[in-house]
Amino acid sequence: MGIQRKVWLFLHRKLVESRANSIQDPFKRLRYLRAHVHEGLFPEPEPAKVWTRLVPKPSLGIGLIVALGIVLASSYSVSRVQTTPVIQPLMVHPVLPSPLQPRVKSQTATGVWLVDQKNGVETYSNGLRIDNRFAVANVPRMPYAVYPRDQADIRHVQYQNQPAGIVYHTTESILAPFEKDQNKTLQQISVAVLNFVQQGHSYHFLIDRFGRVFRVVKESDIAFHAGNSAWADEAKVYVNLNSSFLGVAFETQTQAGEGRPTATPAQVDAARVLTEMLRDRYRIGSRSCVTHAQVSLNPLNMLIGYHTDWADKFPFLELGLQDNYSDAPAALFAFGFDYDPSFVSSTGARLMPGLLRAELEIRGRAAKFNVPLSQYRVALRNNYREIAAAAKSSEPAKETPNEEQ
Amino acid sequence: MKNNEVNRPLALGLDVGTSRICLARRTGEGYDYDTQLNAFVTIPYSKMTEGVLKKADIPHTATATEIVVHGNESDKFADLLNVETRRTMSRGLLNSSEPDSLRMLRQIVTSMLAQSPQKAKLCFTVPAPPLGSEDNLTYHEASVKQMLLDLGHEVRSINEGLAVIYAELESSNYTGIGISCGGGLCNVCLSYLSMPVLSFSVPKAGDYIDNSTASITGERANRIRMIKEESFHLNGFFDQKTFQVLGVYYDEMMQSLVQGMRDAFQNAKNKPKFSKPIPLVLSGGTALPKGFRDRFEKILLESEFPIVLSEVRMASDPLHTSAKGALVAAMTDM
Repeated sequence: MGIQRKVWLFLHRKLVESRANSIQDPFKRLRYLRAHVHEGLFPEPEPAKVWTRLVPKPSLGIGLIVALGIVLASSYSVSRVQTTPVIQPLMVHPVLPSPLQPRVKSQTATGVWLVDQKNGVETYSNGLRIDNRFAVANVPRMPYAVYPRDQADIRHVQYQNQPAGIVYHTTESILAPFEKDQNKTLQQISVAVLNFVQQGHSYHFLIDRFGRVFRVVKESDIAFHAGNSAWADEAKVYVNLNSSFLGVAFETQTQAGEGRPTATPAQVDAARVLTEMLRDRYRIGSRSCVTHAQVSLNPLNMLIGYHTDWADKFPFLELGLQDNYSDAPAALFAFGFDYDPSFVSSTGARLMPGLLRAELEIRGRAAKFNVPLSQYRVALRNNYREIAAAAKSSEPAKETPNEEQ
Repeated sequence: MKNNEVNRPLALGLDVGTSRICLARRTGEGYDYDTQLNAFVTIPYSKMTEGVLKKADIPHTATATEIVVHGNESDKFADLLNVETRRTMSRGLLNSSEPDSLRMLRQIVTSMLAQSPQKAKLCFTVPAPPLGSEDNLTYHEASVKQMLLDLGHEVRSINEGLAVIYAELESSNYTGIGISCGGGLCNVCLSYLSMPVLSFSVPKAGDYIDNSTASITGERANRIRMIKEESFHLNGFFDQKTFQVLGVYYDEMMQSLVQGMRDAFQNAKNKPKFSKPIPLVLSGGTALPKGFRDRFEKILLESEFPIVLSEVRMASDPLHTSAKGALVAAMTDM
């Protein structure tokens, strides 16, 4: 389209708009616009930009005829647009949201390796630095029991001995304001927390508020981080994850709902590179990187969510993981556990899709076996009790005061 | 004063929605609305039942074997009898799996238009094509139009999203985005100076929320809708499981709507460009819960939406917006 035509169309549109503005009666104005605005009034628009905020774009001045071309590019200018089919039609009920995918690309495909080890600090190829000053040994990891996802009972037990996943925790320790003049206090608290978790063999790794990664318990040994717990990946169910999952703690407190973020940016960065290294070293799938709140359970009342650390706002996507909050907790569908509304109320709504997914799965299974849901749940709970009893008898006892439930 | 202004015919706006039908009339400087549920239930015929319905002035139709209660009362009867209501429409169009759809729709509309016996200029709403499907709107539009013509009115149709714009965006010269979140569909229209530039619908709406929630909680979808309309809101946490589930599906619906809008605007070959921010208006029964606007705006802000918006606001009267817009279109034709 020639510049003259563009200028003419622009002026014509301005004229129509100006005349419309002078008509007070809204019906008459609409009548006027409908009579005078048509497709032929608009030039082919140019490619537009993507906007990420609801703020006005600064308008360009109108003056010189030379500037009209620029004005044209930014004025109201439209042409009829064909819609492009972009989303799927309504699917069969019920449909739950798919897990969101990672925002950052994981380096596990290219591998993460140990570059250097000096003065008790390990440096890795992805920038991870692990401080070993607080590292201690604990009970060596022995082969632990796993069960098929669709038949989690004692008769189908299998064994493996490599870490199968990661459970993320919060220390729930006291937090000084994260400010420059609190530097000394912040460091003192970190050391106190490290001493405490070292004494209790509580986690394999701790990330302090400055994003420094400390090894607490060697990965070849178990840490007492998960207590009564369960999780399932695509194929297997894991029970009491101390033996099967590594424990990574953030020095922070869980905060449900809106408000300040739970972790500092430095902690998120450190957790990302630590997660990359562990996933690469032990071939851990994204689905097996979960929070303590997702795996924790209480066999006394058969409810999940005994611990609620990282029940909300865990930065899955920033860590290169899929958003596992929407995954079904294994205790619900494999062992017939339940949850109470106070769990959801106290943790926020992030876990709800996972809870619903679990409920659908257990209903589907009960229907498949043609047994009432309540009866099926009782059978699953009996399976759990058998498995838990076997696990207890083979697990090492914990000796320290900060005992996991 | 010209004669044709003295004898100006009556104008009516009819929003033919999946969930509700709303008729708008002009009363002096204001508007008057009559709304009926677009649903019905059938009850086995008995003389006594028919007598009770007549006495209570409940709209119904009796045949030799059954009594059909339609409109607003169908909800109560369905709840009482513990059955689902039957629907004349599904996903914005005549319900192909309901053999009596057109007949029942005609009965509901006829009862609503009974107070307007004179010939009127009537404008009714039609949905836009759903994104990602090949739905043919022609049969639906032609059937409803013929039904209204048979009732003796002068009839034309208007896109539902555009009706929202006609009702709400006078101050921006009918430029902006109008969204009607209804039962079967969410209708979206982008308009420039009253001309619809881009119109489409998204098939996740109120019914999707109700049916999905019902399948999880074991309640009837009809019951879920009543609970939703009575007391659900999108702020804060809930102790009741039904509310928790509703919250999840509301979120899913809004995500789907925003994703559909973003992709449609981004993937369109000839993308509209605006020199200044344009308003976005939300309307419809599904947008009614407290907190809907805030949550929708939050999702929109996170979505890299390709059009700069001056505001995201609720329509002044969300349940009646489409009908009012249809009425404005009818009046503009005079």
